[in-house]
Amino acid sequence: MKIKLDIVKYRFLCLGISAIFLLPGIISMIYSSVVYPTHTPLKVGIDYTGGTTLQYGVKEDVTNDKLSAVRQDLVKNGIENPYLQIINVNSKQSTDLKAILSVRTKFIDEGSKDVDKITGIVNQVFQAPSLVQVSSVGPTLGSELFKNSMIALSLALVGIIAYLTFRFQFDYALAAILGLVHDTIFVMGVFSLLGLFYDVQIDALFVTALLTVIGFSVHDTIVVFDRVRENLKYYSKKMSFGEIMNASINQTLARSINTSLTTLITLLALYFFGGVTTKDFVLAMILGIAVGTYSSIFFCSTLVEIWEDKKKNAKSAAAA
Amino acid sequence: MKNKLILFWVIIALTIGAITAIAVKPTKLGLDLVGGSRLVLEANPTNAQVTPDMMSSLQFAIENRVNKLGVSETVVQRSGDKRLVVEIPDVSDLEQAKKFIGETAELDFRRPVIKNGVENWEPTGLTGKDLSKANLSTNSQNGQWVVDLEFNGAGTKKFADLTKQMVGQQMAIFFNGELQSAPVIREPITGGRAQISGGDSGFAYAEAKEMVDLLNAGALPVPAKIVEENTVGPTLGADSIAKSKIAGAIGLGFVMLFMALYYRAPGLIADMALLIYGVLLFALFKLIPVTLTLAGIAGFILSIGMAVDANILIFERTKEELKAGRTLFTAINSGFDRAFTSIFDSNMTTIITCIILYCLGTSIVKGFALTLAIGVMVSMFSAITITKNFMHLIFGTGNLKHPEWFGIKKSEIGEGFQAVETSREKAKFGILD
Repeated sequence: MKIKLDIVKYRFLCLGISAIFLLPGIISMIYSSVVYPTHTPLKVGIDYTGGTTLQYGVKEDVTNDKLSAVRQDLVKNGIENPYLQIINVNSKQSTDLKAILSVRTKFIDEGSKDVDKITGIVNQVFQAPSLVQVSSVGPTLGSELFKNSMIALSLALVGIIAYLTFRFQFDYALAAILGLVHDTIFVMGVFSLLGLFYDVQIDALFVTALLTVIGFSVHDTIVVFDRVRENLKYYSKKMSFGEIMNASINQTLARSINTSLTTLITLLALYFFGGVTTKDFVLAMILGIAVGTYSSIFFCSTLVEIWEDKKKNAKSAAAA
Repeated sequence: MKNKLILFWVIIALTIGAITAIAVKPTKLGLDLVGGSRLVLEANPTNAQVTPDMMSSLQFAIENRVNKLGVSETVVQRSGDKRLVVEIPDVSDLEQAKKFIGETAELDFRRPVIKNGVENWEPTGLTGKDLSKANLSTNSQNGQWVVDLEFNGAGTKKFADLTKQMVGQQMAIFFNGELQSAPVIREPITGGRAQISGGDSGFAYAEAKEMVDLLNAGALPVPAKIVEENTVGPTLGADSIAKSKIAGAIGLGFVMLFMALYYRAPGLIADMALLIYGVLLFALFKLIPVTLTLAGIAGFILSIGMAVDANILIFERTKEELKAGRTLFTAINSGFDRAFTSIFDSNMTTIITCIILYCLGTSIVKGFALTLAIGVMVSMFSAITITKNFMHLIFGTGNLKHPEWFGIKKSEIGEGFQAVETSREKAKFGILD
């Protein structure tokens, strides 16, 4: 079986498909920025906003099964994204409590129905837990921290552009960067939509997932560009740039698919068999790697091809 | 062939060394994965009400100090109106950490006054806020540890004015309300530098070092004390982590199976290289040591993906060369050489990104960048050096007798993409046609 892709012929179709991928997410992000009280394009979780911590003293060991049971019941009863943590009771403290179960979730008022609901759930799993403390907690990922990370990321992008311009050409570098922007916007867009329709909130891990997507996206694009660079060396006299681009993409196609496949296998295993608390994190990476493969084949290459085509036309127009 | 055997034994020795390191050294895991210590700090200002602004600056000061501890991946969080929760992954000396976090670190300079016949010290208004930096050094005369102070612009002026007024008098330096030393001012000091000598007995190294760290981290804007101290479980939930461990192992198993089925013999070799890669990397994480958090593990997963990718790139190129009718030795060599530029460029980009993220980023970003950078560097070694070495040793030279070992049909040989080499490349790959 031989698959032959002709991205040069269908270049505007490729860009069109990208637009279809991205548009709903972009619309959702704009809508969310206006509508959400936080004015953020995505629904942000308590890592960014802060929330309330309820601490229950329990007189028995907190096993993983019990932790899972509490988590499941909480989610079932509409307490989204709870963070459950065990606080061990210091032996120096004089108390008959074995441990403290800390439940961190969105802001809730003391004495409200939500508190009763959570207490009820903890009560079903543990014997006679006592609510020892309700307190509000601040964000772990403050806006300052977030801003710093974004500045670091922007400078990293400048670094990528500089290196790729040095090793390839500026338009390849620009295409690679646009490719990673494409992939990042897609993942953010999907999570914005998930936030609107399924109340999915992003946590501090989401930033890490995006970093992973960016890393993969650039890596994947460079491999395709490297083949173009090599083929240009051998065939630039015999073939047009479009033909070389097509040949390069088809030569690297098996590799592109296999690489994503191996990474996706690991991530899918983590998604289906792994812990609940990292599900969204893994989902973001799965989406990013899938779209990253798509963009390096169909989006970045198309951009370079169109630019090179324009340059050639401009040149021949100048010659004539 | 002799060199290849030597390299093979070097690889084996490295692997055994790495396994030993893994067995001996403890793994450092972050708060999100194993938990750590949880300290609750309560602000108790002597005279004022606790305001949100006060808490913000207290949080900032504590964050600064925790960072100075050199423990990565800590969490400092507001809790209620006047409390901060500080969570630190397992540190070797919790007692010292506690002292470090709870210390007010107020530095002030005082002048002598005589009130009702009793000598006393009066604040001059020059404090730790006027410092730009503190350094640890030794006295050139007696070799004792001293703390060098550098004032900022305003501090330099204040200090110059004060010393001008106080020539011949003693100026006392107080740290946390305790008199450290009280040298006599001989002449006005305009250079903006001062030194704390620790009196006649001098400072112990640890004492001076702690003072320098505290001064550089800045004083706490409000006195605060530790009111609670506990050990805590992982923030991501022990139940979730237990499941994810199994899932990760299943995922890796599937990847190895896929490689073996699709790429056959080279795939199996890549699987071996991947296992060695995992062992080497894990040993490095323990030796450096890196505090592994989920963000770090994300970097690790991505680097595994890139390591597998390098092998896939190489095998695809080797296959192409074999289909073009090259001998095994040539095909393997040129497969590696041709794949090298793309492996190099993509990995260099990743490493550059990681360096920038590590230098400028904050905790999560840093952890990710560090493991990814180390992972990528090790993967270049494993995917290129180890795989190539194993392939040469196993397949040797000669013609391709069993194309099915490489997942190629006999009929495919001679068709497919034909690379055209320059004469230099032909010489390099040993092509004789």
